[in-house]
Amino acid sequence: MKHKILIIEDDITIQQQLKNLLTGNGYAAEGVTDFTAVMEQVKAYEPHLILLDIKLPGDDGFAICSQIRAFSDMPVIFVTSSNTDMDELNSIMLGGDAFITKPYNTAILLAKISALLRRAYASDGQEVLTCHDVCLHLEGSFVEHDGQRAELTKNEVKILYYLFSHAGTICSRNDMIDFLWDSRLYVDDNALSVNITRIREKLSGIGVTDFIKTKHRQGYLLS
Amino acid sequence: MNGKKYLVNKLSVILINLLGMLFLAVFLLVSGSEGHSILFILFVWILVLSCDLMIVYRVRKKYLDKLLAMTEQLEERYLIAEIMEKPERADDAVFLEIMKMAEKSMLEKIAEIETERREYKEYIEQWIHEVKTPIAAMKLLSENNRCDFTRELLAELEHVNHYTEQALYYARSEHTEKDYIIRETDLANVVHGAIADSKYLLRQNGVAVTVDEMNGHVYTDDKWLRFILNQLIGNAVKYRGEQPEIHFYSVKSGDTVSLMVEDNGIGIAGSDLPRIFDKGFTGSNGRTVQSSTGIGLYLCRKLCGKLGIGLEVVSEGEGTMVMLSFHINDFVARVQG
Repeated sequence: MKHKILIIEDDITIQQQLKNLLTGNGYAAEGVTDFTAVMEQVKAYEPHLILLDIKLPGDDGFAICSQIRAFSDMPVIFVTSSNTDMDELNSIMLGGDAFITKPYNTAILLAKISALLRRAYASDGQEVLTCHDVCLHLEGSFVEHDGQRAELTKNEVKILYYLFSHAGTICSRNDMIDFLWDSRLYVDDNALSVNITRIREKLSGIGVTDFIKTKHRQGYLLS
Repeated sequence: MNGKKYLVNKLSVILINLLGMLFLAVFLLVSGSEGHSILFILFVWILVLSCDLMIVYRVRKKYLDKLLAMTEQLEERYLIAEIMEKPERADDAVFLEIMKMAEKSMLEKIAEIETERREYKEYIEQWIHEVKTPIAAMKLLSENNRCDFTRELLAELEHVNHYTEQALYYARSEHTEKDYIIRETDLANVVHGAIADSKYLLRQNGVAVTVDEMNGHVYTDDKWLRFILNQLIGNAVKYRGEQPEIHFYSVKSGDTVSLMVEDNGIGIAGSDLPRIFDKGFTGSNGRTVQSSTGIGLYLCRKLCGKLGIGLEVVSEGEGTMVMLSFHINDFVARVQG
């Protein structure tokens, strides 16, 4: 089931782009259009999580947050350009779950969203990813094929996680490095190649060959 | 009060008295008084006159010296008119009135300038918050449409963000009010956060980043620290050499945790080192790298001073090492066990 996220943000571009970002990452997203009747839209859409700006036409974010808290415990993330400690304190006092300042780092925003959703709705994250009989176990950090296992390092798990979750599409090296940097692994082009080579060796050790294909000048493809 | 000058000021009085003595002596001589009685009268006159001059001088000097000392002790000296005693002499009263008028206009001027400054600061802060919305929009647009071109754009946006943050913290650092909260902060989180803020800048310039395991919880404001680190990262990128590297690690010794930021850039000339924290100082590196502003490190030192973080820069020929040291006092360490 897709989690529904409501974006309460008056900047049209940001609202649209956030919607694109969230739908691109497997969520359903909707933006508030009429700021005189925010509560009605919240109740009608029944979101799982709300992204809330502080400065809004009509009621400000703090007021909206306390109105939401009157009837629901859903996670609320404040996303705002103001970064004074007073605002942060206020947002926490009024029951906000997180406080992110503009210009936000999308990786951090997405990580916060998924963490809050997991906590609030106890939907277990996908711990095992499967692609063509190859299973990637995130918790145990190993790959499994036909009952054989190969242990992976932290870096290798992250790389495989990216490839598995984008199975069937070509993953460009640049995008992969971006993702790895967001996961606090500061690798460069060479290090990525070395890691991929090592992963291929480990995979062939458990009888999986030709699993990660190199697309010349484009990137890698799982098939 | 200068005695000589006092006598010069009293010259007219002395001359009139001398003239009076002359006339009296002539008058007495003409009316047939004896020589020694005239001399005696003149002696008494001179005695009385010099006593008067001396006493008045003493009293005035004491009064004025006291006033002078009082003024010197005062922090806001323009407020002396408020605390001085009401003078008894008519001319002094006029001077007091003049001083009070001057003080009033001064206070009005100060209040006006303070209001102006505060409003300007508020405007700058508001402007920065406003400009962050379009920056955020551009960032989202670029990240949703990733390609080589938007990556370059993202690096430039990080530049823009660095500069706006600099302006924000500059506006804040000029004012005395505290808008920071000291709390327990995980050093690793702040370092990774700062790297994330400069991700595209670092990647676009091919900077190799290494972050060692950090074992430090420190007491500081994470936003301010992140800003400081961002400035340091910005410098490392700006003054990079061939195959740039930046290395973060922490060292714990006694009750101090030090965060080291080390790069292998062009370094700082020894003659420039003592002045790198001065406002507007760009040094010999500033002449080779165009975008030196001389604000970044100045702000770093200022913020570090407010947060009580030790800031040291070591550079020997090549590369620069910045050391931020956080003091954890014994009490906190004991409570933590």
